[in-house]
Amino acid sequence: MKIRELILKNFGKFTDRHIQLDDGINILYGENESGKSTIHTFIRGMFYGMERGRGRAAVNDTYSIYEPWENSNFYSGSLRFESGGKVFRIDRNFDRYSKKAELICEDDGELLSIEEGDLEMLLGGLRAESYDNTVSVQQLKVQTSQSLAGELRNYATNYYTSGTAGIDLESAMKKLQEKKKEQEHTIKDALIQRQQKREYIEQEASYVWRDVHRLECEAANIDEELKHRREREKSEDEYREEPNKRVVDELRPSKWRIHPIEIIVFAVIIALAFVIISKPWNYLVSIVIFLLCLIYVWNRMKVGKKQEKTPPELILEEITPEEEKISLEQLEWERIHLRAELKEKKIQYENLQEQLAELDEVGQEFRENDRKCQAIQLAMDRLQELSETMQKKMKKELDEKASEIISQITDGKYEKLLIDENLHISLMSHGRRVDIEQVSRGTVEQIYFALRMSAGSFLQEEDLPVILDDTFAYYDDERLMETLRWLADHKSQVLIFTCQKREEQLLKEMGIEIKREEI
Amino acid sequence: MIAGDIFHRQPLLRELKEMNSVLASAVDTEVVMIAGNHDFIKKDSYYRSFRWADNVHMILDDKISCVELEKIQTAVYGCSYYKREIKDAVFDKAFPKKRQKYEILLAHGGDEKHIPFQYRSLAELGYDYVALGHIHMPQILIENQVAYAGALEPVDTGDTGAHGFMAGEITEQGCRIQFVPFASRQYIHMDVEVNRKMTGYLLKNQIRKQIEDLGVQNIYKITLTGFRDPDMIYNLEDMDPCGNIVGITDHTKPAYQLQKLMEENRDNILGQFIESLNGNDQDSIEYQALCEGVQALMETRRG
Repeated sequence: MKIRELILKNFGKFTDRHIQLDDGINILYGENESGKSTIHTFIRGMFYGMERGRGRAAVNDTYSIYEPWENSNFYSGSLRFESGGKVFRIDRNFDRYSKKAELICEDDGELLSIEEGDLEMLLGGLRAESYDNTVSVQQLKVQTSQSLAGELRNYATNYYTSGTAGIDLESAMKKLQEKKKEQEHTIKDALIQRQQKREYIEQEASYVWRDVHRLECEAANIDEELKHRREREKSEDEYREEPNKRVVDELRPSKWRIHPIEIIVFAVIIALAFVIISKPWNYLVSIVIFLLCLIYVWNRMKVGKKQEKTPPELILEEITPEEEKISLEQLEWERIHLRAELKEKKIQYENLQEQLAELDEVGQEFRENDRKCQAIQLAMDRLQELSETMQKKMKKELDEKASEIISQITDGKYEKLLIDENLHISLMSHGRRVDIEQVSRGTVEQIYFALRMSAGSFLQEEDLPVILDDTFAYYDDERLMETLRWLADHKSQVLIFTCQKREEQLLKEMGIEIKREEI
Repeated sequence: MIAGDIFHRQPLLRELKEMNSVLASAVDTEVVMIAGNHDFIKKDSYYRSFRWADNVHMILDDKISCVELEKIQTAVYGCSYYKREIKDAVFDKAFPKKRQKYEILLAHGGDEKHIPFQYRSLAELGYDYVALGHIHMPQILIENQVAYAGALEPVDTGDTGAHGFMAGEITEQGCRIQFVPFASRQYIHMDVEVNRKMTGYLLKNQIRKQIEDLGVQNIYKITLTGFRDPDMIYNLEDMDPCGNIVGITDHTKPAYQLQKLMEENRDNILGQFIESLNGNDQDSIEYQALCEGVQALMETRRG
């Protein structure tokens, strides 16, 4: 693309000013305050528009600064440029009442749309930021060389990581990181929820288990009790039989304490004693025998009544309330009932355990979230990888290109431009490394120029004009000559704004044709 | 005919009592049931000892046996599960024994871990009807001959479609069955397609409309598909106009014209990123990564 004509209808101090531009080097010469920067701003404004600021910011913004001195309601201009063999014209009205922007192809009269990006396309996709960084080279707006290097470093950082298209890799990565965190959070929440559910089931299971345990204890108690009772019953039965193991007891039915025969025998003995023994002793002997029999009978009766109880049994009897002395049948029934309940609880417990086991299975939702997490991670990894390789590649190319330019400008004094990982810039001079802080202001400007020119060749698809606004103030004649030679060789259109005559003179000496325009 | 898995786990006694009383109340009805892989007959299962009502007949054998219902001249053959899985093809040679006029096979399973069988070969065994259980989705495999009755009610959100039972009649003319939708609600998995112009409000309306078309009584699981405006974020929590949605999954993709973007940005990381991940299947993790990455790059773009 080449700029053909600037028509400043009413812009800053200019009214109806036409400036024709040619291929090759154009020198726009003007004294201080003659309006060189105005023209510079005009070109940028024509390509990218100029918005009026709002509020207090509006007082000193570009719009206000270049508002026409007279007749400010009429604030407009045109720019004619050639691209792809066709001539286009941009017409813009900047003033707030009749604001408009038109792009017309003068060859076929077609009206193109700036809003839909036709102009951007003609500019080779170059955005405003990149335009500022490459096409238009102003003097560095910094004072000390220290911060100049910083400025340069900033520029290099931005350039290396994103190139054009306004891509902000760092924010994008941050965004992905946030998203991933969010996703992980959801996963965690889901896990917590599941854990809660699990705990709930576990709690239920533990209750059931406690019931199971309690029932088992109760059942065991009842078993014990039953066993005990049965044993006691048995031993009681035995006991009843045991003490009367004598011949008489064998004969006597167990349920009788004194057998009638015994009484008859006693009576017979008494009668016999009475009859056999002579009087008066028989009375005495009979009475004694009678008394002995009586004692025996009485003793028997007493044995039958008394249940032999051990002390602990007695105590137990005392402390057991009457209603708990339940019958054997009742105990038996209770045992069956307890067993049934126990079985029920056990099944319930097992069912709960099964449910817990099923809970461990990974759910669909979890898998989906996990996948998303993985996808984000993959995107991040891939971006990181790409940016690294791109950085390396671009850095290498940029280094080579910039080295070539700096080598030509300095006539081989500096062979190489080195930019390390921390974007620290240094130069190689005769095999010796020189830090940017050590070189002169002029050299720093030249490094900056070299970087911009080499960056431009990456960022632009179109061969765009180079606009240099008082860039060479710090250059000595020799380096300026080399720089101008490089520009003439490599750039199809160069606009040099200057307040000095030396560029013109040097170019004339070198025999390079120029177009000169006085402002 | 209850073809197993009437309980999801081991039944409790009170549950059996409950069920028994329900079945007992059915007048002039004979019930034949088996145990399936979920309620299989464990060592201490209540199925072993439970006393069913007179009209309920449970086949407790693990080998194929038969319940004869003389009143209706019918014999039902079948077997119960005694373990969780049965990998033997038990029904391969389970021919009817001609004990009654009408013969029915009651079977549970069908997949490789639960008595594998081919339904066609089941049909060839010679039963008047083969009543199948195990799969929750009702399906008639062979018209009037072999069918899964499915679950009476949908059991979880995956049990989509109508649920109910098979009603049929066997006469001398043969067997006729038909599915009776009995569950009043069904789970429906519904796709809702979004487009570039769809805002949250419009999406909610679209969901409402689709739900109203398919029935408000049903319960929905929704998947959002299609391409949304890249700037659009749908608030999924606020997308339940009728209160009958159990879950919404967002599978929408940002409507980037990837090819165009790639060509426009060939020289920078965006273009190269698209290029490195492009051409993958839309369901793949790479495609998802592509969408996420492009979105992040586009959203943070300057100017």
